[in-house]
Amino acid sequence: MSELIFTNTRIIDPASGRDHIGSLKVTDGVIADVSETPSPADAVGVGKEVIDCDGLILSPGLVDLRVKTGEPGHEHRETLASASRAAVAGGITTMMVMPDTVPVIDTPALVDFISRAGQTNEVCNNVIPCGALSIGLGGERMSEIGLMKAAGARAFSHGEKPVASANLLRRAMQYAAGMDAPLFLRADEPSLAGGVMNAGGFAARLGLKGMPVQAEWVGLARDLLLAEMTKVRLIVDQVSTGRSFDLIAQSVANGAQVSTTASAHALFFNELDVGDGSHDPDKAYLTYCKVNPPFRSEEDRLALIGKLRDGSLNAVVSAHDPQPPENKRLPFEDASFGAAGLETLLACLTTLVADPFYQLSMLDALKVVTVGPADCLGLKTGRLQEGFSADLALIDPDKPWKCKRENLRSLSKNSPFDGRLLTGRVEKTFVNGQMVFNRAQEVNHA
Amino acid sequence: MTAYTYRHKHLLGIEGLHRVDIEDLLDLADTYANTQEPEQVLRGKTLINLFFENSTRTQSSFEIAGKRLGADVVNMSVQSSSVKKGETLVDTAMTLNAMAPDLLVIRHGSSGAVRLLSRKVDCAVINAGDGTHEHPTQALLDALTLRRRLGSLEGLRVAICGDILHSRVARSNTMLLHQLGAIVHLCAPPTLLPPDTHTWGAHATFTNMEQALKDCDVVMMLRLQNERMDGLYLPSQREFFQLYGLDAARLKHAKPDALIMHPGPMNRGVEIDGSLTETERSLITEQVANGVFVRMAVLARLAENGVTA
Repeated sequence: MSELIFTNTRIIDPASGRDHIGSLKVTDGVIADVSETPSPADAVGVGKEVIDCDGLILSPGLVDLRVKTGEPGHEHRETLASASRAAVAGGITTMMVMPDTVPVIDTPALVDFISRAGQTNEVCNNVIPCGALSIGLGGERMSEIGLMKAAGARAFSHGEKPVASANLLRRAMQYAAGMDAPLFLRADEPSLAGGVMNAGGFAARLGLKGMPVQAEWVGLARDLLLAEMTKVRLIVDQVSTGRSFDLIAQSVANGAQVSTTASAHALFFNELDVGDGSHDPDKAYLTYCKVNPPFRSEEDRLALIGKLRDGSLNAVVSAHDPQPPENKRLPFEDASFGAAGLETLLACLTTLVADPFYQLSMLDALKVVTVGPADCLGLKTGRLQEGFSADLALIDPDKPWKCKRENLRSLSKNSPFDGRLLTGRVEKTFVNGQMVFNRAQEVNHA
Repeated sequence: MTAYTYRHKHLLGIEGLHRVDIEDLLDLADTYANTQEPEQVLRGKTLINLFFENSTRTQSSFEIAGKRLGADVVNMSVQSSSVKKGETLVDTAMTLNAMAPDLLVIRHGSSGAVRLLSRKVDCAVINAGDGTHEHPTQALLDALTLRRRLGSLEGLRVAICGDILHSRVARSNTMLLHQLGAIVHLCAPPTLLPPDTHTWGAHATFTNMEQALKDCDVVMMLRLQNERMDGLYLPSQREFFQLYGLDAARLKHAKPDALIMHPGPMNRGVEIDGSLTETERSLITEQVANGVFVRMAVLARLAENGVTA
């Protein structure tokens, strides 16, 4: 029997509302006790490992519902192993990986491939496959939802694009509801959204085609109405506007089962971050800020933070989408969408908490990356509770640091946070009670 | 002698320029317009014209401007192909940079592409049009044309009409005319009128030509860019000409002696009645002539800055 005891730590467990100084005991990789005693008397002895946390925050390991890797098919962008290393450096101990790879994860065998690759991964074995809702993500034929679920897929997505056919979507929802499989869908009307950044005056001035917020609302309204009809569990992938929450609330009032996610970068950046060079001649048409959904107006950014605060936003995701330089070092309209996000998910939130303007508590901020996303999928993780796996993140909430792309562990360095000053970061990460990341042992402690 | 001269390393757009920058360039262009044999200030310097989009007048205008000042001019047309020419864009810039030109004139079909290239090279870069973003030398030559004809732009009413949404000329011109004190009206069909044009410096927007032209001293027509339309913006060219084309009857809504401008190339019978272009009131050929002087001024100033930098 091995025992690991964290002493003098600030326990934050959003599931129970705990936020106090205390200690936490892990026995054989499982949480055995959470206590309000900072240094329990039995925290010494043979076979016991004691970590004095010196007041740092001990949180459940983060659960990230939206991670893209390049495996299979584009391993030069990111492998499951490289993504895992980046994830644990960001405190993430569970990640759901998206099905839009090459080939698309649309059969039980491919779901099994992802599950096995996760299980044999020495860094982070909690890799959850998300299956493709239609074969090849072609939007024409339903994939084997039941068999993929049996093989380990915990949700089904249609990648970056919505299902074009409302009828296929309706049948797939009906079927998935019967299989108790949640759908994780982008709300979008592609024929409206054919642009490269948020629509509006700024895009017009830059001469770039805009993606209007209405594209999200039109797509979302359809998905919500069909979710009401079919009783499917719908997880909305990356809500980007405040008004979307009004549509969702209306559907929930009508009995729909809907949970919401937003990307961390949508809470941090707005459309102006694309840049027109007016402040810094080099900061214009920044392709690292090209994401889908796009960075919206400041009003929408603040609305999303408000929804986090009031509890209507269930999960914040990294929306990690590694893109190599050849896809980003291009004119803005030709560059790929997507931002690397695994290592900045937590830091983005702690930076917001550190700014009194946003009035966010650490409990609020950690909720949307632990129990919030775990509950979206019904996962037994994301809690500091006896009997749960000891997936833990030790966080220094006040640590100031500068995000530098060259220090990122991801194989692709396309982070919009490059060069930004952030507050708070992970010092140590544990999976099943095993330390899988220790910043003190990293090169330059970066 | 003016105390101030243009000090930027590149000319990427009108946005970011101050009135003194603009007036310095216009003053120098004016001098060139009145000089038979200009000093060969670009002798021994290499100018590369790098055009990713087809262009006749802009490319030859830059070529002639460079040659009049003694530069060695190399023209490179990189024909657009169906493949994404992404990495080749930065690669091309690196390759050209290794040949150490002094001045690089670039036109590209994507907004912001010229700025991207300017970050990858050491020489001065001149934007000869990037996507639907900016075309600063066009705006400068239009201002020079108006200044030479009318003296000052202060208080002048200019209507810019047509496909504003897709027009880099409209963006650059609105910003520049506003800086020089002109009052700019923008007129377009509802689908081709972008939002928030007051941030460019436009004073009013219209979807009705007659109203837009009222009391205007100058009517600047834009080319209808069918290639950017996807068939969703307008019902037909016929309807466009009937509602937004400039003909003699419609021109009567402007001031009696109002002048006509067009950046070219013109679609006669689409945005403008061809017969109007051959009247006294058309500045179209003067625009082309002044284009050379403006480009001489830009090249000369940027080459000077390269020496002192």
